[in-house]
Amino acid sequence: MQQTVPAQAQPLLRVENLQTHLYLRRGVLKAVDGVSLAVGTGETLGLVGESGCGKTMTCLSILRLLPKQSGRIVEGQVWLDGIDLTRLPEQEMARQWRGRRVAMVTQDPMTSLNPVFTVGDQVGAPLRAHGLASGARGVRDAAVKVLRHVRIPSAETRLDDYPHQFSGGMRQRVVSAMALACQPRLLILDEPTSNLDVTIQVQMIELFRELQNDSGLGIILITHDLGVAAAICHRVAVMYAGRIVEVGDVRTIYRRAAHPYTRALLDSIPHLGVRRERLASIGGQPPSLIDPPSGCRFAPRCAHRTAQCEREYPPEIQLAPHHTVACWHPLHEQA
Amino acid sequence: MLVELRNLRKHFTLGGGLSFRRGTVFAVDGVSFGIAAGETFALVGESGCGKTTIAKMVLMLERPSSGAVHFGGIDLQAMSGAETRSYRRQVQAVFQDPFASLNPRLRVKTIIAEPILTQERVERAVLRRRIEELLDIVGLPAGAADLFPHEFSGGQRQRIAIARALAPNPRFIVLDEPISALDVSIRAQILNLLADIQQRFGLTYLVIAHDLALVEHFSDRVGVMYLGNLVESGPTAEVFAQPRHPYTQALLASVLRPDPDHRPRVDAIRGEIASAMSPPSGCKFHPRCPHALEHCAVEAPAWRDLGGGCAAACHLLETSHAQSA
Ligand SMILES: Nc1ncnc2c1ncn2[C@@H]1O[C@H](COP(=O)(O)OP(=O)(O)OP(=O)(O)O)[C@@H](O)[C@H]1O
Ligand SMILES: Nc1ncnc2c1ncn2[C@@H]1O[C@H](COP(=O)(O)OP(=O)(O)OP(=O)(O)O)[C@@H](O)[C@H]1O
Ligand SMILES: [Mg+2]
Ligand SMILES: [Mg+2]
Repeated sequence: MQQTVPAQAQPLLRVENLQTHLYLRRGVLKAVDGVSLAVGTGETLGLVGESGCGKTMTCLSILRLLPKQSGRIVEGQVWLDGIDLTRLPEQEMARQWRGRRVAMVTQDPMTSLNPVFTVGDQVGAPLRAHGLASGARGVRDAAVKVLRHVRIPSAETRLDDYPHQFSGGMRQRVVSAMALACQPRLLILDEPTSNLDVTIQVQMIELFRELQNDSGLGIILITHDLGVAAAICHRVAVMYAGRIVEVGDVRTIYRRAAHPYTRALLDSIPHLGVRRERLASIGGQPPSLIDPPSGCRFAPRCAHRTAQCEREYPPEIQLAPHHTVACWHPLHEQA
Repeated sequence: MLVELRNLRKHFTLGGGLSFRRGTVFAVDGVSFGIAAGETFALVGESGCGKTTIAKMVLMLERPSSGAVHFGGIDLQAMSGAETRSYRRQVQAVFQDPFASLNPRLRVKTIIAEPILTQERVERAVLRRRIEELLDIVGLPAGAADLFPHEFSGGQRQRIAIARALAPNPRFIVLDEPISALDVSIRAQILNLLADIQQRFGLTYLVIAHDLALVEHFSDRVGVMYLGNLVESGPTAEVFAQPRHPYTQALLASVLRPDPDHRPRVDAIRGEIASAMSPPSGCKFHPRCPHALEHCAVEAPAWRDLGGGCAAACHLLETSHAQSA
C-alpha cells in the first residue's frame, strides 16, 4: 500500500491549540490540553496513544459532541473548510455540519445504534434527512446499497433485523456505512476495525482508500492497532496525557520514532512469527489529567528522564519537514 | 477435558414484521472441541462466523439448538439448580463491548463487588481492599472505585470488566475480544497478567480474538472457524507455522503488520462474504477458495485428523493424504 503525503496548500481541517475541559465534582479534568493538528483532503491522519489520553475527546470536540453537563471547549479553534466550527450556532452545526460534512464513527457501535429500530430504518434515516433518497422504496434501495458497500451479506433481508441480531463486527460496519452515507468531507473513525477480522479489515481499508481517491475524503483514524495504522495512515500523531507528543509521516514514526513514549509503544506490539515469553509493556501509569505535572508528562515512566524533564514541559522541536516532537532528549539525537 | 463442546448448533429464526419467517441464520452449525484444564484455547475467524454465539452457549446465555456443552463432564442443560449456581460462580466472562456490559447506574466498586458478594459475606474493609487490589491488577487507580462507568475512556472501561471477571476467583474465563479496545502497552500488561494468574491458579481460558499475532503469543491451541463450522484446529504454534486449510492460509496472509512498507495480501480471499442464511453447498468456503475442486461444491469435507493434535476439514487434504500414503 502506498502512502505519500498529498501536497497540501490549505488543509481540510486545522485544529489549533484545542483545550477541552471536563468539569467534574472531583475537579477540572483537562482531557485535551493544547492540541494542534491538520488533515489534508485525501489524507489520513492516525491518532494513537495510551488508553485515556484524550483521543476520543479531541474528536468529540471537533464535532462538538462533548458530554452535555461537564464538557466544554475552553480555548482554541477548529477550522474546517475555512469555517471555525467552535463558533457556529448549535443549530447550524446540527443541520449542515455534523453527520453531513463531518461524520464520526464512535468507538461503541452498540450505543450509536438504537435497539428498537431496524438496521434498515437507521441506515435510511440520515439519507432521507439530508435529502439523498426519498420514498419508502428509494430509501430502502439506497440503504441496501450502503450495506453492500460495507460487505454485509444478504443485505436485502438483513435490513429488517434489529442491531442485536448482528454480530459485533457487522454492527461496526453498519455504523461506518451510516457515516459514509452522506458523503462527508471529513470522516472521524474511532477504532473502526478493532472488532473486525483481518480479511475484512483489509477490505474496509481498501474501501476507505477508494473513497479518498474518488472524493478527497479526509480521515482521522483513532486506533490502537499499529498494523492498521501502518497500512492506511499517511501521517501519525502520537498523544500522551492530553497532548500530542510526536507527529510525523508514517514511515518516520515507525522507523525513526524520536519520542521515548512512541518507541515504547512500538516495542509493545506482538509480531506474528515471533513468540516471546512475555510482552514488553510500559511500567507505571499515566498522570492524572486533573492536576498534571508541570514537566514532561511521560517523565515518571521514561528511562531517559533528567531533572529538566521533571521541571519543565519540553518545547516542540522540528526534526524534519514532517516530523515534530516534544521531548528534551529526542531518541535518534542520542544515537 | 474441562470444557467440551459436542456437535453444538445454534440456529436463529428471523421473524418478519407480521411474523412471517424470513429465514434462518445458521450461526453455529455443528462445532466440537475440548479445552483442557489450565489451557488457553483461541477461536478465530471471520466476523459473523459464530464465535460470540459459541461463547454465549458456553456461558448459558443462549440455549443450543442441538448438541451440548459439558463442564467437568456434566452437560450444562442437565445440571441441577445447585450445579448451575456453582457453574456460574466458576465461570466468568469479559465481552467484546465494554460499553454495553457495565451497568451505567452502578459505581465501579459495586460492579466489581457484585460477583464477590453473590458467593460470600465479606467485611466492608476486606471488600474495599480486595476491590483496590483488583483495580491495581488492571492498572487503574484506587480512586476509580467511586466513579461511574461513563467517566472512563473505552479502554479503561474494558479494564473494569476484566477486574470484575477476576473478582470471584473463577476457574474458567471466556474472553470475547477482551483487549481490542486497549492500547498495545496495556494489552501487553493485561495479557501478561492473565498469563500470570493462569499459572498461579491453574485457570482455563477460551479467548476470541482477531489479532492473530496476539493469538499466537497467548494461546496453546487454536480453532479456526468459517461460517458456523470449525475448519481447522491444533496447537497454535503448529497451525500458524503450517496452516493446512486454505481459509487459515488466507487469514494469516492478510495480517497487517506494524510496518508501513508491508503489503498485506489484499487478494488473499476473493469474493463476497458468504451469508449464514444461505450457506454455500458442499464446503462452505469453496466459492472463495483459490484451490477449489469441482467436488468441493458438492460434498462437505470430513473432519480429518492430521496427527500431532492437528485436524482440518478440506478435500485437498484428502487427495494429498492419499498421494503421500
Ligand atoms: N464523561 C466523562 N466524564 C468524566 N471523565 C471522562 C469522561 N469521558 C472521558 N473522561 C476522561 O477523559 C480522559 C480522556 O478520555 P478519552 O475518552 O478521550 O480517552 P481515549 O484516548 O479515547 O482512550 P481510549 O483509547 O481508552 O478510548 C480519560 O482520562 C477519561 O477518564
Ligand atoms: N439474536 C440473534 N438473532 C439473529 N441472528 C443472530 C443473533 N445473534 C447472532 N446472530 C447471527 O449469527 C451469526 C453469528 O454471530 P456471532 O455474533 O456469533 O458472530 P462472531 O463470530 O462473534 O462475529 P464478530 O467477530 O463480528 O463478533 C451472525 O450472522 C449474526 O447476525
Ligand atoms: Mg476513546
Ligand atoms: Mg463476536
